[in-house]
Amino acid sequence: MPPGNRGLILLLATIDLLTSAVCARAGTAAQTWLDAAVSRAAKGDRDALFAAYTNAPKHTGRDLLQLPVSERAALASTAPGTFFDRWTGDDAGRAVLLLTLAEHVGADQFATAAIECYERGDSREQQSWLKALPLLPGSERFLSVAIDACRTNILPQFESIACENPYPERYFPELNFNQLVLKAMFNGISLARIVGLSGRLNSELSRMALDYAAERRAAGRSVPLDLALALTKDAPTEEQLR
Amino acid sequence: MKIFDPHVHMTSRTTDDYEAMARAGIVALIEPAFWLGQPRTMAGSFIDYFNSLLGWERFRASQFGIRHFCTIGLNPKESNNPKLADEVLALLPRYLNKEGVVAIGEIGFDDQTDAEEKSLVKQLELAGEYDLPVLIHTPHRDKKRGTIRTIEVVKRVGLPEERVLIDHNNEETLPFVLETRCWAGHSLYPNTKMDEQRMAVLVRKFGTSRMIINSAADWGISDPLKVPKAVEVMRANGVADADIQRIVWDNPVAFFGQTGRLDVGDISERPAIDRQQKFENNSVLRGEQITATR
Repeated sequence: MPPGNRGLILLLATIDLLTSAVCARAGTAAQTWLDAAVSRAAKGDRDALFAAYTNAPKHTGRDLLQLPVSERAALASTAPGTFFDRWTGDDAGRAVLLLTLAEHVGADQFATAAIECYERGDSREQQSWLKALPLLPGSERFLSVAIDACRTNILPQFESIACENPYPERYFPELNFNQLVLKAMFNGISLARIVGLSGRLNSELSRMALDYAAERRAAGRSVPLDLALALTKDAPTEEQLR
Repeated sequence: MKIFDPHVHMTSRTTDDYEAMARAGIVALIEPAFWLGQPRTMAGSFIDYFNSLLGWERFRASQFGIRHFCTIGLNPKESNNPKLADEVLALLPRYLNKEGVVAIGEIGFDDQTDAEEKSLVKQLELAGEYDLPVLIHTPHRDKKRGTIRTIEVVKRVGLPEERVLIDHNNEETLPFVLETRCWAGHSLYPNTKMDEQRMAVLVRKFGTSRMIINSAADWGISDPLKVPKAVEVMRANGVADADIQRIVWDNPVAFFGQTGRLDVGDISERPAIDRQQKFENNSVLRGEQITATR
């Protein structure tokens, strides 16, 4: 974009690893399709990119990649902090398309096309996009898209940005990060899935979590067992507040 | 018992719901403008939405013997899209004088961002200018703080508190609202917010003054019969019929009628159903014979 030498090397390595992961699982037809789609995306053909972004699952399938340890380790070195546990074939295929585009066109052109992929995407396309977000060069410029994505009521979509994803930890301001944690709690999502939560704890989040516990108890409802993961070490206990 | 459900998103409900609501005693309802579960990306979507609240949905309700009113406003979630928010706020004045619009709403906080506060302040100011009451949503997350902050904003803008209905209260927020002169709404939901049993406890503890209940039924897991169901539960818990009537009829009528926009004479009786009527050549009938007689 250009992402700088080291960034570019890692980007190309990630593209290679994800491409092999997809093709090893979906076969040679997928390889042929992805090669053609990637070469059109590389030329900056936007319509071809959008069509391929939508059609990816027809070629890559929708199964979980279930990467073995060796492939995880390789990706952990090229894309540190991103967890691929819940990535599917179409997630990986779509990520390859976006990353290829980023490698070949200017930063502004990339940002415009990437945002269009998101805004005109259906729910699954948006989920793929959010999972790939931390890998995208210059991803901090997509902060408002990521924050807005947290407002969804579609739980798998919320999980795509909130869980196993290092993006919120890296870029969300405190208010939005805290809201993300509360929303996860509210929806019964295990807080252990929020990447970097322990490093982003703050007194305001502790207060919000304890207020939430008090509200649940006043309504005669249960309190999530992992609520303590949202509390700072020096936060008061629920008993102290009562 | 005559029942008013002052918060229910009928656009998301079926004709079966309308029939059941009418059967359970609901004579009038208010449909607040809200978000549709999926973020809108352009102001034009709001124009069509407001028009449908004022047109087709109002007509549809009348076909089941129910008076339909609405509130118009920009909801907190979509206030966070700056371009959209500016455009929608600019078109609100076109709608605030329309027949059937009884308040501004639902507005308020969701994530409690600065953008949400800006939109809330602007709409509270519009309420003063257009002499309308306001319906304020309180957030799901960080609710107590959100309610306190809402009250602070209302006081700062200076809209008379008795013109403000703060909705979706629970045990933790209600005392803060009742300390003011604002009215207190409660949304009875199957799993979240408030339920009928807890509501009966709150009524016995805090009385009926400025207390309002609603179903807030929408496209999510919700129940448009929650208000009639709460009537039964309150009765079973020893709340007097006169008190119940105050909560499910007199209070919403008094609140939304206070600036004259809700025509009280208009709602004293259930509207007669005439299913030969059409709305822009469209009918709720799907080619069947007219059998309803009530």
